[in-house]
Amino acid sequence: MLVKYEFLKILRRRSTIAVMLVSLIITAVFFGLPVIQYQTYDGNGVHRGLEGIRCNKERYEKISVPLTNEYVAETIEEVKGLFGDPANIGYDGQEKFLVDDAYWNDIAYRENLLDLIAANFAEPNVTVGYNSLPLVEDSVETDFYQARQDKIEKIINDPSRKLSETEKEYWLKMNGNVETPLQYGYFEGWKVIISCSELFIFSILAICIILSPVFSGEYQTGTDAVVLSCRYGKTKLGTAKIAASFLFGLLAFTLHIIVAFAIPLGAYGIDGWDLPLQINGTSVPYPLTFLEGTLVNLGVVYLVLTAMIGLTLFLSSEMKSPYLVLTIVIPVLFIPMFLSPNGTAGIYNLLVFLTPYQSLIPNFASYISYQVGPAVLDSFTMNAAVYAVLTLILSPLAKIGFKKHQITG
Amino acid sequence: MKLQLQNLSKRYGEKYAVNDVSICLTPGVYGLLGSNGAGKTTLMKMICGVLEPTSGRISLNGERIEALGEKYYEHLGYMPQDFGFYPDFTAREFMLYIAAVKGLDKNKAKKRTDELLHMVNLSDVAEKKIRSFSGGMKQRLGIAQAELNAPSILILDEPTAGLDPKERVRFRNLISDFAKEKIVILSTHIVSDVSYIVDTILMMKDGRFILQEPMATVTDGIEGKVWELFTDQRAAEEYSRRFAVISLHHERDSVRLRIISDTAPGAGAKAVRPGLEDLFLYYFGEDAQMERSENENAGQV
Repeated sequence: MLVKYEFLKILRRRSTIAVMLVSLIITAVFFGLPVIQYQTYDGNGVHRGLEGIRCNKERYEKISVPLTNEYVAETIEEVKGLFGDPANIGYDGQEKFLVDDAYWNDIAYRENLLDLIAANFAEPNVTVGYNSLPLVEDSVETDFYQARQDKIEKIINDPSRKLSETEKEYWLKMNGNVETPLQYGYFEGWKVIISCSELFIFSILAICIILSPVFSGEYQTGTDAVVLSCRYGKTKLGTAKIAASFLFGLLAFTLHIIVAFAIPLGAYGIDGWDLPLQINGTSVPYPLTFLEGTLVNLGVVYLVLTAMIGLTLFLSSEMKSPYLVLTIVIPVLFIPMFLSPNGTAGIYNLLVFLTPYQSLIPNFASYISYQVGPAVLDSFTMNAAVYAVLTLILSPLAKIGFKKHQITG
Repeated sequence: MKLQLQNLSKRYGEKYAVNDVSICLTPGVYGLLGSNGAGKTTLMKMICGVLEPTSGRISLNGERIEALGEKYYEHLGYMPQDFGFYPDFTAREFMLYIAAVKGLDKNKAKKRTDELLHMVNLSDVAEKKIRSFSGGMKQRLGIAQAELNAPSILILDEPTAGLDPKERVRFRNLISDFAKEKIVILSTHIVSDVSYIVDTILMMKDGRFILQEPMATVTDGIEGKVWELFTDQRAAEEYSRRFAVISLHHERDSVRLRIISDTAPGAGAKAVRPGLEDLFLYYFGEDAQMERSENENAGQV
């Protein structure tokens, strides 16, 4: 009963409706922009928006194949053949590329796939395109997966990463679970969702704004004296406020998620949900499909949300005004935006990756890990653990803060 | 029922808001009087368990309220001064919400809400949002919420502040209805509000009780110290400077003065029967006069 009324109190506030509306519109715009701005080219010119998406999707039908060593070798040979004819080659002063029919007929429709294959054979942290494929030596082209394995070993053995032997073993073991050959296909909708994940920071902020008056609003309006002098004021009421806040926060955030997912998946389709993350970057060690990867990331995002709700409630129970609560919550959420990691090792970087903003970014290919004694935790597990613990600590503190609140004014 | 305050103090820094207050309260209506800053509100907050005393203890029937926990709050109804409402709730929703916080079951909460809204004459606006309520309506809703659990201890802090005279009369009657068999502590600095309904006067000054007397005999101590006299305008000004003048009334060519003084203030002064306001002024002197003129300006008296 108390939870119901506390939920109603949150829901009924005019500010709640206003903040929710603005936040949902922002979310729709953020996740709708890639659709609106989408454009693709073919020999006939540019195709924009939904028409462009449809054209691009059709192209993928031809290349939705298992990436076997044979298929990759044949593909590289084809590209080498195209580069073998000088009439097909353009040069911009720095690098060669294919032009005219050679590009539009043989490259354009599968450029992403060719870039993926090229990147697989390139050195770590080096960006290459299909035009680097002629440089791939014949001796290695036959083993796409050996090249992938070599690249991953180079990444984890990079001294700047300072990975311990246990951590290296952890990553190699995880990578060993990636099923090969990789199935290629269309996954544009999931790519947009994964790449826009950090934009949920604004949805989290909106929920924190809405929940900031849960306790401090009572102090500000003077209703604290009435409720705290009631039978359940210092006991069940605090729990009910916290439960209602989490209930509201989770429902409101889920509404944002629905909007955020519905737009790209509606426009691009759900195709690719069962494809491996590695077709968006072969050095990804996580043996997950796009759907699984998205859900894992979403789990972390929800835990960041619950911890931020916990922090907001704790501050709300300690401060006399919702505005004061936001003077702390907003910097906690947004200052890490400006803290750029300068690597993946060292305390500074590992802490930066644990900040709320950075935790929303799914680092599937970054090999960020935390060693706690003999245990190794990847960034998703570590973030999940940290934010779950913060939620569990901050929520009871909020209840204690309210219980101990003194009506001094 | 016995509500006992023992050596209760609340200190902020070096200043005592409540200083070593002790009293044993049994059922009855107590009028807590004092000028602003006397410590009335602080004392009430401590009794309501929403402010921890710096020292001393409060016990109900011999048990400390901290030990009683929820059981103590079951006995309590509190209407704080100037408290807020949830503007987006209707009066009924607000009552049902407070009933839930007070631990009333759903059916009882509904029944009691209907009864109380009727008693405070808010039945017609029960479904209206509180944001549309006048000050008087909010005050009535305030006392209704305090009564939801039929408390045996009812604490009302300045319940008539901001009300017009008609509303104040209505409010006094309401409090009288609610007061049966309860410990009611009613704080105000508008003395006329309490004179009709209280059994005992508790007067506070500088955080201490300076007077605890039954209403019937509360003015006995200043019997023979309240005077009335007629004089001219010029002399009236002189009297105002020298004595505590309770009232000054122009009547044709003369001025009628009501003065508090241990001895006759002048020739022709007649001792009159003292009232509660005289008593208040006797103890609070200039402070009270200043407050009284503020209240008059605000249309409260």
